[in-house]
Amino acid sequence: MNKNCCDIDACTACSTCAALCPVAAAVREFPGPKLAGPAAERFRRAGARDDAALAYCTNCKTCEITCPSGVPVAAINMRARAEHQKKHGRKLRDWLLAHGEHMAKLALPAQPLADLGMDNPVTRQVLKAIGIAAGRPLPKYARRSFLRQFGKLRQQPCADKIVFFPGCFTNYNAPEVGLDLVAVLQANGHEVVVPKGLNCCGLPLVTGGYLEEAEAAAKRNIAVLAPYAAAGVPILAACPSCGLMLKQDYRELFAADGAAEVAAKTYDAMEFLLELRDAGRLNTAFKPGKARYLYHAPCHLRAQGIGRPTLELIGALPGVTVADLDAGCCGIAGSYGFKDDRYEISMAIGQELFARIKAEQADAVLTDCGTCRLQIAHGTGAKALHPVSVLRKAYEPAYKL
Amino acid sequence: MTKTQAVVIGGGATGAGILRDLAMRGVKAVLIERRDLANGTSSRFHGLLHSGGRYAVKDPESAAECVAENAVLRRIARQCVEDTEGLFVRLPEDDAAFETEWLAACRALGLPAAPLPPAEALRLEPGLTPRLAAAYRVPDAAIDGFRLCWQNVASAVRHGGELRTYTEVVAIERAGGRVAGVVVRDAVSGATSTIACDLVINAAGSWVGEVAALAGAAVDVEPDRGTLIAFNHRFAGRVVNRLRPPADGDIFVPHGSVVIFGTTSAAADNPDDTAPRGEEVNALLRLGEPLFPDLPRYRILRAFAGTRPLYTGGHGAAGRAASRTFAVLDHSREGVHGLISVVGGKLTTYRLMAEKTVDLACGKLGIAVPCRTAAEPLAAGPAPGLLAAARKYFPAGGAELAAARLGDAFGAVVGRLGDDPANAALICECERVTLGEIKEVAACATTHGLGDIRRRTRLGMGTCQGAYCGFRGVAAVCAAGLADKPAAGLLGDFLEERWAGVRPVLWGTQLREQELLRGIYGASLNIDGAMNDEQL
Repeated sequence: MNKNCCDIDACTACSTCAALCPVAAAVREFPGPKLAGPAAERFRRAGARDDAALAYCTNCKTCEITCPSGVPVAAINMRARAEHQKKHGRKLRDWLLAHGEHMAKLALPAQPLADLGMDNPVTRQVLKAIGIAAGRPLPKYARRSFLRQFGKLRQQPCADKIVFFPGCFTNYNAPEVGLDLVAVLQANGHEVVVPKGLNCCGLPLVTGGYLEEAEAAAKRNIAVLAPYAAAGVPILAACPSCGLMLKQDYRELFAADGAAEVAAKTYDAMEFLLELRDAGRLNTAFKPGKARYLYHAPCHLRAQGIGRPTLELIGALPGVTVADLDAGCCGIAGSYGFKDDRYEISMAIGQELFARIKAEQADAVLTDCGTCRLQIAHGTGAKALHPVSVLRKAYEPAYKL
Repeated sequence: MTKTQAVVIGGGATGAGILRDLAMRGVKAVLIERRDLANGTSSRFHGLLHSGGRYAVKDPESAAECVAENAVLRRIARQCVEDTEGLFVRLPEDDAAFETEWLAACRALGLPAAPLPPAEALRLEPGLTPRLAAAYRVPDAAIDGFRLCWQNVASAVRHGGELRTYTEVVAIERAGGRVAGVVVRDAVSGATSTIACDLVINAAGSWVGEVAALAGAAVDVEPDRGTLIAFNHRFAGRVVNRLRPPADGDIFVPHGSVVIFGTTSAAADNPDDTAPRGEEVNALLRLGEPLFPDLPRYRILRAFAGTRPLYTGGHGAAGRAASRTFAVLDHSREGVHGLISVVGGKLTTYRLMAEKTVDLACGKLGIAVPCRTAAEPLAAGPAPGLLAAARKYFPAGGAELAAARLGDAFGAVVGRLGDDPANAALICECERVTLGEIKEVAACATTHGLGDIRRRTRLGMGTCQGAYCGFRGVAAVCAAGLADKPAAGLLGDFLEERWAGVRPVLWGTQLREQELLRGIYGASLNIDGAMNDEQL
């Protein structure tokens, strides 16, 4: 752990985070980031108990985005939650949700049996019994993981390499996003490397309160990625949460050697493509189309402080328009919205976003985050895509892999 | 004219302890305090319940008193004491021979000082310097001076004692060489009255000389100034002492949500010389940095100063060299019969000071009841069911904080929160003070303003130093009918008082905090009443 993480002294108690916290707006029991975070931390260090309010935090990081004093409020909360859970025990459900990578590895060989199993009423009863929200559709596992499909791809060899950090959701649930990114990068003269030995970024472990395991996961990833970073190879994440872990949380939470070097070379996928365009290197041989998209900026993308690259990239496609929804957090926050005692809060947080989507006519909603896409589909019935999939379509059929 | 047996002057820990002891022995007594309880040195101190370790080598008499009273106070003042334990830490540059001497002195005192391997000391206190050469565990603890005074008085009142705060002594009347009564002025109404009595007990601390002079007596007391710093968070979980001969800037005391660090020692011009100075703060930081290398980076909330009532008793030692033990003076030696002064001592030994003083007083009154203050707890403590019920209403950890702060009044506050959920609103978010608690304290006869509420609840004593709780607190005071001036004036008083402690530490985040505060009060609330020039 990083001894210097979670400095609470910078908080001026200004309450900006409390005014903008989507959870505090949705549920009265959550006193807001300042009170649950830096203010409570002063008492936690004096031995205060009973910190049940911490469980409401979604780790969406809106507080960190809004804090004028740079207080790592969400990181303070995640650390305190881990300590709290160590003392007070954890639920089986929370273990399962934090260890989604284990679950996927077990389920994948048996897919589609696994998905059948998820849907049948008996399994649903079991899930309900352990505290998974009955109303929440579970994401299906892909028939073949991204890594398996990627292994069979024949890429054009290029001098420019990039490392792709696929993350669990892309690998197990949405391999098409990874494949679309590979195609887009190939169309732009980059060869994609997915090094062996990468594992889950560790975010579900952080939010689940398993910080030691998260640190171990982080250190394994850093060990794999650091040599590439040292060689100047860009590291791309298509999932904003994985990207934020690599860019910020590894450094903030864990004092891991190499974390700063990896962070400096890590890009969000769309951020990287926008940089190519700004450098005049983006392949702009886009096929004309006719589509209107809505864009939802995931919280963990906004927390990266990179603007909204999708608006510029997709908006520049011939015949395509994209409108920024600008409606805050979708509410799902990874595994949070799957918990029966959090499902309603999760849906309440997303109300503004759902209403705005429903009020608009569009072909699809674009958003970078996998669980945001699940939440949008569930909350509105709209089709939700990763923006890189739209880009790939715009290059087709010229660059079909 | 009221009549009583004994008038006790000075509402610090000693006076409160004396009132309690007198009342428990059946002596009719009134405690007179010119302001609020714990307004002087009993709140302007380190908050340290000494194990005795600090004085073991140089002042074994005071150390032995501390060893004994430490054990007593843990028993009787459980809600005022936080059992943090303490460390004595020697750095490589400190004299190793002193460590040997200190250990021998601790053994002689029966003070347990268990060696702690440096690596283990660092694990327990990660903020400590890794350079530490030796560490020992001692039974130091944190003690809350405000609570201690109030709980002593509450116990005394249960035994028939009487408290009058905001009551100043203007004269001590004598008849035929004997004390006959005390003329007092009510600081709120301005009215004067006389309390007839057989005995006057002068427990005015640093002001003991001024009070004795009212009766034509003299006390050799030298007010000695000590400045302390309160930090925003608990970077140490234990009391940390530097293992070397007592000097400035060598004790850190974790206290509730903060750490208090100090102190300095310098002759004060007068007992009211309690404005902290920037150069003292800077000097302290330089002294503390060797123990806690990150000290300059920790945020300071405020600085404060108090004066120690050092008893020089004619033998001339002053400052750090003066003994920290105490003396009970019978002024009949000077021909002033019926006047007793108690002087010197430590907060840790307040109860023993009260016991010895009341022993003398009872001898004069012909009362042979033994002292029971060491046996009977100050407050019963919350019933287990009450604390469990309170957790439903208070924010996280708030129930325990409020129970310790409020003592006997806790039950009533829990009732207020249960009756009306609006009373659970946090008026002071930094120190987690609820509206119900403020209403309860505001309803006490001894409460006259926001300052009194602050001392009993810690309102305004946390991170924001009044930026948010100031206006909320004033609203609560106005709603309780306690306002003696317009709200802007009350706000001004409250902020001025906070400002006195913030001014010497105005840099870094605390400066940003003050700018935010200035924006809230100066711009948003316009408490200075600035006019719009364009409309004039």
